[in-house]
Amino acid sequence: MTPSADSRAPVLSVRGLTVGFPAGRRVVQAVRGIDLDIFANEMVCVVGESGSGKSVAALAICGLLPPNAVLGGAIRLGGTDIAHADAATLRRIRGRDVGFIFQDPATTLNPVMMVGRQIAEAPVVHGQLAPAQAGARAVALLREVDIPDPEGRVRQYPHQFSGGMRQRAVIAMAMAGRPRLIIADEPTTALDVTVQAQVLAMLNRRRVETGAAVLLITHDLGVVAEVADRVMVTYAGRIVESGPVDAIFRNPRHPYTRALLRSMPRLDGDDARLDPIPGQPPTPAALPSGCAFRPRCAMSRARCAQDDPALRATGVDHHAACHFLEEIETLPAPAATVRAPDQGGAAPLLDVRDLRVHFALRSGPLRRRTGVVRAVDGVSLTLRAGETLGLVGESGCGKTTTGRAIMGLIRATGGEVRVDGQEITGFSRTRLRAVRRHMQYVFQDPYSSLNPVRTVAEIVAEPLRIHGLFDEMGGMARVAELFDRVGLSRSFMNRYPREFSGGQKQRIGIARALALQPRVLILDEPVAALDVSIQAQIVNLLQDLQQQLGLAYLFIAHDLAVVRHISDRVAVMYLGRVVEEAEKDTLYTRPAHPYTQSLLSAAPIADPALRARPGRIVLTGEIPNPASPPRGCTFHPRCFRASEICRTEAPRFAGGVACHHPGAA
Amino acid sequence: MIGFILRRLAELVPVVLIASIGIWGIIYAVPGGPVGALVGENATPEQIQAVTAELGLDRPILVQYVDWLRHALGGDLGTSLQSREPVAKLIGQCLPATVQLGIAAILIGLLLGLPVAVASAMAPGSWLDRALAGWSALALGVPTFWLGILFILFFAVQLQWLPSASSYVPFWQSPGAMIANVVLPASTLGIYVSGIFARFLRASLLGELRADYVRTARSKGLRERDIVTRHVLRNAMLPFITVVGLMMASFIGGALVTEAVFTYPGMGRLMIQAIATRDYPLLQGSILVVLVIYVVINLAVDVLYVWVDPRLDYGA
Amino acid sequence: MKRILNGLPRHKGACLGIAFLGVLALAACFAGLLVDPLAQDLASALEGPSAEHWFGTDELGRDILARVIYGARTSLLTAAGAVAIAAALGIPIGLIAGYFGGWRDTVLMRFVDVLLALPGILFAMALIAVLGRSQATALVAVGLTGIPGFARVTRAETLALRTREFVLAVEAFGGSSTYSIFRTVLPNAWSPILVQTVVLAAVAILLEAALAFLGVGIPPPTPSWGEMLRTGKTYLYDSPSYAVLPGLVLTLTILSLDAIGRALASILRESEGLHDAPLAEAGAP
Repeated sequence: MTPSADSRAPVLSVRGLTVGFPAGRRVVQAVRGIDLDIFANEMVCVVGESGSGKSVAALAICGLLPPNAVLGGAIRLGGTDIAHADAATLRRIRGRDVGFIFQDPATTLNPVMMVGRQIAEAPVVHGQLAPAQAGARAVALLREVDIPDPEGRVRQYPHQFSGGMRQRAVIAMAMAGRPRLIIADEPTTALDVTVQAQVLAMLNRRRVETGAAVLLITHDLGVVAEVADRVMVTYAGRIVESGPVDAIFRNPRHPYTRALLRSMPRLDGDDARLDPIPGQPPTPAALPSGCAFRPRCAMSRARCAQDDPALRATGVDHHAACHFLEEIETLPAPAATVRAPDQGGAAPLLDVRDLRVHFALRSGPLRRRTGVVRAVDGVSLTLRAGETLGLVGESGCGKTTTGRAIMGLIRATGGEVRVDGQEITGFSRTRLRAVRRHMQYVFQDPYSSLNPVRTVAEIVAEPLRIHGLFDEMGGMARVAELFDRVGLSRSFMNRYPREFSGGQKQRIGIARALALQPRVLILDEPVAALDVSIQAQIVNLLQDLQQQLGLAYLFIAHDLAVVRHISDRVAVMYLGRVVEEAEKDTLYTRPAHPYTQSLLSAAPIADPALRARPGRIVLTGEIPNPASPPRGCTFHPRCFRASEICRTEAPRFAGGVACHHPGAA
Repeated sequence: MIGFILRRLAELVPVVLIASIGIWGIIYAVPGGPVGALVGENATPEQIQAVTAELGLDRPILVQYVDWLRHALGGDLGTSLQSREPVAKLIGQCLPATVQLGIAAILIGLLLGLPVAVASAMAPGSWLDRALAGWSALALGVPTFWLGILFILFFAVQLQWLPSASSYVPFWQSPGAMIANVVLPASTLGIYVSGIFARFLRASLLGELRADYVRTARSKGLRERDIVTRHVLRNAMLPFITVVGLMMASFIGGALVTEAVFTYPGMGRLMIQAIATRDYPLLQGSILVVLVIYVVINLAVDVLYVWVDPRLDYGA
Repeated sequence: MKRILNGLPRHKGACLGIAFLGVLALAACFAGLLVDPLAQDLASALEGPSAEHWFGTDELGRDILARVIYGARTSLLTAAGAVAIAAALGIPIGLIAGYFGGWRDTVLMRFVDVLLALPGILFAMALIAVLGRSQATALVAVGLTGIPGFARVTRAETLALRTREFVLAVEAFGGSSTYSIFRTVLPNAWSPILVQTVVLAAVAILLEAALAFLGVGIPPPTPSWGEMLRTGKTYLYDSPSYAVLPGLVLTLTILSLDAIGRALASILRESEGLHDAPLAEAGAP
């Protein structure tokens, strides 16, 4: 990359970085030539899908790769050449000049060491801090990342911290040595949206306070738009486009960046059909010749198969790697929106009344009941043919338990579930079987939901065989027809699940759910585990199937943008209850419940222009332990509108909202 | 902590009770029953009746069990049929010998096994690791009774350095004589123990070295040595302690066999003698004592586990 | 199965082990054609290894090699029988306890805990003390001590699979518990069970030999390795090879099974890790 407008020396300078891993006799290149400069007090985001090499590059920058990795190119941090540094120099640099923030705060900290000791460990080891002062320094660091009661917290262990607090502690640890560069690898991916907003805001504040440079690696374009100064888009081990955040989002020059932005549903968007990128991201072991994006690119030509294009300037500090940069405006616009006709007024297919699922907490030698977790505590929903009801909430709110209890996979403690007018709660496994023909379930994790020892054709046929309908419904011909329906080639039918990518596995899961010709599908986070470009493919498939077959969907998800895109109505859950339910447009434009308002406000929007939108609400605290929920309204400790009545009395669900003080934010 | 120990004890009570029913039932399952075992096959009906009354075997079966258990809890394990001495006294003579052997063996096992585990986990796949893996395979795979025979053959028969049959000398009486007598059996058993330690601690160290917090420690610029000693070792103890607890049964089994090899006067010999002479009260008493020892060791393992892992809130 | 065959050549110890066990099993099968373990020749008692008697002779002048080969028959048959008993009882216990949980789990695992509370050898000795010495008793005793191993391994695997979504999926489209357990859980649980089988075979052979060594195993004159060690030990001064050579064969058998077990565990672990792409984002070390 050419030098930036900034004339100071960069904190980090990378030239021609390559990383390979030996696989058999050859070396597979995970990173294929990356140039990168980061300056002090700058937030640079590297964005890309899985397998694009972004995390490998980050590890390479600090020499943290496994010993078998083959490194090429030059990495200079301050004045030191990392690529050729000896082990002792590398260790000193890691502790003092670079701080690392990893993805999963649950596993990043040592579970059997007190948090305070872990935070102050690096400066002590590197002689920046006398051991006697470690305790006081740890307290100060925890205070800087807004952890309440830091004196008490330093003596606690990681399991006593909530997820968001753990990630704050990790950030404090990364900043303990006052590093000039902080590398954050998906730092908020494991966090809920309201906590993500807190942590991102805090990280940004600390960056400004310390003047450190931050390299943030993420797959989430919303996060990028929220915090980045500059953006690098990676694809198949290379940077395909880089530039200031506004330029990338307003005027993307590379076909991949453009397609990626188009494939995303937007929180503030219309209902335009998503425009997915066809195919799969390539794996480093099997790259196409020439431009790696060629097989998925709408404007690829013969030349693309021969030359891998280099980065070229296309604006102020804006570069892209494409042979046909100048022609990019001519890409076809997305197709017009088509929606299923509204079938409102028909009798509900699925009618859930006051559903409750309580788990007993047992402990002691006699397994006495010592408490109750009200995972689902009085949820009512209705779903009509051809309609999609979105069920959103953060982790632990009970949305998955609700879905599973409706399906009968978890026994409900109370309430009624009617499918097509027939009450099914309390049915035995055998009696449930008949009902289950009409209602099927699609699971979240495509890697875990397919039986690894069966061929995919057998997996799709399994529901038919269990119900003894295999021959009646057409045998293998029916299975082949299902493969066509979900857009999979029939030639894959005799393969095993491990041979498929995540998106293909999810198609198989959908085909299996359709085998018995159900009328209701419960979709539990069906796209959460997939890359952005693949999410759009599955969302479009689901919408097509709904239109063709008149299916009703209960769509359970945490991603507000996806839910808005696919749903007709949306219900928001918090601690086992529905706090608000409304028509989609009403809910997203005029939310009435303070929780819905803060949820929408916290969700990152992939548009840097909306970064400083007025009236953003950043909630304090995190979701309480469901085993001991707060009295009164369970949301009141975090609510900005809470009054006396909220502390004592739980609000009733009326007029689509459960709040004592509903209204505009 | 005390609450936790009490709770674990409460969980162990049913296990011990059920096992004690089994042990008590031994004598009833014997062909001819307890009386037949006592009076022999050629007894007259009168003799049988007399003994039955004497032993209280004409009482309801539940009363008999409760009575036996009450006596056992009070330390009265009955009278040996063979030597006519109290079983408790015979066990009291043999138990210290076995405990001394066991402690010596565990010390040898730790001394040999821990360095091997750490050394091979630090360089997985290296020639050292492979050599050490070979060592632990041998230590675990060579039967203790054959290894003991080889030791006797070499150190007692060939070199004539040590006695071929070991006797029990308490440590505080004569440390030198104690070592001369216990070194062969304790090494035999200790090598087996070192195999357990080396293999399973290596496995759990390797597992922990892949954990995310190790990457964090590396990103903080710690030395590999410090990473292992400060971060990994304590975490690796957790799965390891579980395995050691499970292996304790085979350790006790190994101790009994080792005693037989060296004609060492411990619990193992006592039990074999009891089986050979059909001395059922002695057998019942010995098994009960070994069972209690095993349960106590397991309890100690649990306590150790909770002590190492702060996540287990033993107070709750 | 193919994965195992492909992976084996990289584990040389396991290949040697398979070869050794193969020769041993063949010799045991055709022992009758090869040698006579009972032919006595008191004139040449307690001789060392020679061209005529490769392993030497015992106190009655019987050929020790012949007795070792017949001992292999005893050992391998006991091990096979014991493993069969342990698997037949232990695997269903583990499946039921792990799949249903609740009171079934509590009751079954308490039972397993009790079995586990007695060291295996002690349990076997107690059983033999009651039922008397015989080949059948030894086999049943060794088999029963193997139940906890199978039950625990199967239960742990079942518990892990129970939370996997493909098992839930079977329930979601109405499969019965029986279908779920036998068609979905069991086919996915076989690899740790297979490893456990090999481990238990080694334990069973060792336990049978230990019982015989203590003089409570299979009664003479049936040739048994443990019994030979027991008698050989009394002639250590006269004929050291008497105790050493049968012990060597026993040791090699155990080591072979151990090597095979470890190779299997390693191959199955690797091939199950396949879906974690080796070049996944973080570049796992």
